Amino acid sequence: MKAIDIAIKDLTRSFRSAFAIIFMFGVPLLVTGMFYFMFGNTAENGGFDLPKTKVIIANMDEGGPRFQVNPKNIPGGREADTMGDLIVSILESDEMADLIEVSFARDPETARASVDIQQAQVALIIPPDFSEQFADMEEGKAVIEFYQDPTLTIGPAVMRSILNRFMNGMSGVKIAVNVFIDEADTSDYAMTGLVVQQYLDDSLALSEDMEGELLDIRVPVSEQKNEAEQSENLLLTIIGPIMGGMMVFYAYYTGASTAQSILTEEEEHTLPRLFTTPTSQATILTGKLLSVFLTVGMQVIVLLIASRLIFGIQWGNFTSVILAAAGIILSASSFGVFINSFFASTKQSGVLFGGILTVTGMMGMIKIFAMNSAIANKMGDTVSMLVPQGWAIRGLMQSMNGEPFNSVLITALATLAWSAAFFVIGVLRFNRRYV
Amino acid sequence: MSNMAAIEVLNLYKSFGENQAVQGVSFDVSQGEIFSLLGPNGAGKTTTISMLSCLLRPNEGDARVMGHSIRTDAMGVKSVLGVVPQEIALYEDLTARENLSFWGKMYGLRGLELKKRVGEVLEVIGLLDRANERVGKYSGGMKRRVNIGVSLLHKPKVIYMDEPTVGIDPQSRRSILDSVVALKDQGMTVLYTTHYMEEAQELSNHIAIMDHGKMIACGTHDELVKLVGGQTRIDLTLHMDDGKTIDAWRDIEGVTHVAAENGTIAVLVNDSNIVLPKLFEAATNHSARITSVAIREPNLEAVFLHLTGRALRD
Repeated sequence: MKAIDIAIKDLTRSFRSAFAIIFMFGVPLLVTGMFYFMFGNTAENGGFDLPKTKVIIANMDEGGPRFQVNPKNIPGGREADTMGDLIVSILESDEMADLIEVSFARDPETARASVDIQQAQVALIIPPDFSEQFADMEEGKAVIEFYQDPTLTIGPAVMRSILNRFMNGMSGVKIAVNVFIDEADTSDYAMTGLVVQQYLDDSLALSEDMEGELLDIRVPVSEQKNEAEQSENLLLTIIGPIMGGMMVFYAYYTGASTAQSILTEEEEHTLPRLFTTPTSQATILTGKLLSVFLTVGMQVIVLLIASRLIFGIQWGNFTSVILAAAGIILSASSFGVFINSFFASTKQSGVLFGGILTVTGMMGMIKIFAMNSAIANKMGDTVSMLVPQGWAIRGLMQSMNGEPFNSVLITALATLAWSAAFFVIGVLRFNRRYV
Repeated sequence: MSNMAAIEVLNLYKSFGENQAVQGVSFDVSQGEIFSLLGPNGAGKTTTISMLSCLLRPNEGDARVMGHSIRTDAMGVKSVLGVVPQEIALYEDLTARENLSFWGKMYGLRGLELKKRVGEVLEVIGLLDRANERVGKYSGGMKRRVNIGVSLLHKPKVIYMDEPTVGIDPQSRRSILDSVVALKDQGMTVLYTTHYMEEAQELSNHIAIMDHGKMIACGTHDELVKLVGGQTRIDLTLHMDDGKTIDAWRDIEGVTHVAAENGTIAVLVNDSNIVLPKLFEAATNHSARITSVAIREPNLEAVFLHLTGRALRD
């Protein structure tokens, strides 16, 4: 009971400070709000710039039956002599220019090496018999090798979408030719090329508005019914992670500054006075720790709800969000206790807090702000896992992305392991100090 | 039970590294009396009180507070004890009522009893009308009163007051001294530390004088003054002295101690009628001029000077 009294007293003190309220709730929402308005404008105008995906092509296709495609359907494109050339023409067309940046390799090894050293994000290797296989109506199997950087998602997804669409069209051509050969007289076989040409032109003409359809960016809401909603969903995919990152970043600050009240009370002489009352040291420390957990908990819950109401961010299903939030609360609180246990005074902690929390916070959030850079993304994936903030953010992102409950649970358990280690070390150090 | 000492201190030792803060301190405090620990800063008073509050663990020795050992029954000690620390130990962002309510809970008070005691204490410390203001907005004296009020909430049998008048205005000081006497009148035992001789002299039934971690004398005011014998203290101020006058005074027959203190020289003498002219003569011989003289009856200052060779406020 006394522990709860101590926690309530600390909560009263914390929430009586206007500065603390602004710092805990106002700043994270404000920062996210700034991003919201910044990106909101571009998303509403449809002007959001997705970085170009660097594609390197090794076109080894030696040709086969000759197809001619009408260049008017490939703006900026050129006539194609082989199926490989046709793919290259489409990828080099004006419509694709905003999405992809094409370069060429002389052989498959060079193309793959470019991806390995991150000069390109995707390598397309078109084999020598691609046209030949395509032309074989009976047993032909035309396959393009798709080689991608495994740490990237959006760029390769765009490329896959383009290629799938093309290959679906080509499959349609094969079916159309087969049907034509089956149904037509032998005297009509001369018209096969015309049929193929007509199918190809129609198929490519349907792709004029390809860019809008290629982006399969998943958003929290299950349905995208209209353009306005699409724009809103795109915005949320940007704002959601930023809000999550801000929440974790500031929750860690709150954890540290609330745990700092142990040092503050020592300097205000109220902690020694507490020790003169018939209240055990364990109860006093429990009360102090409880106040840290409750303060951070309140902050995270308020931010989750407020960001849902203000920005419409959907954090995922209830159990996943609970798990992710628990991970944030526990790790932020225990981290606060942990680092405070190393400081002798608030003067000392005041100087070092900012540095430690900013550096570890930025390390944890690096993935959020580097999601469009291949190198930073890959590095961020590793670096963020070195700090507890990275795990806390990871759990929240998994929940937002609708990943399976087990994935969120594993991350939550990892965060819990961090928390347990911090908590035990912090409490032991504080116990040793006051016994 | 009534004859049992409220506080029995048995040969306490406490050191911090090389520093021997308390060395073999022993004394008894009877129930219902005011007992003062008098000594200059760094004498070991606060360390002694910290050990008696179970804040510090003694290296050696033990003490019993209302029969509870500070070594084996800390919770028992704390439950009969109210502590007024030297510093203001309050939450400045809470109101006086919230502070008292919180500390009352820490002493185990709940519900109506807590509410009643908070009201009573607010009345005793004279802050009932400003109880809902944040302590941070109070004057130093008002904070001191709340600081004392906290220790009274659970009606303790013993109260420790560690230099409660440091740094406050004369009016608040008077109020605190009156409240200490009132506590005694209510039957509480008060252990009071101070470096103000006048406070110890005014309040105490018994006084222990501490210096450099040791207790150098203990008794009633009269018993302590007797230690000085028939000696008289003369306080003088000198003009244009180069230090030789004071040295010369030390050599005068009948002078037992000489100590300089904030521009005043305290001289302990056997017979002021005989020695005083010699003091003037020596000053003249060294081209110094005595600008003021005060002959004082023997008091605790003189006792301290007699026992240590230093003035109490050195």
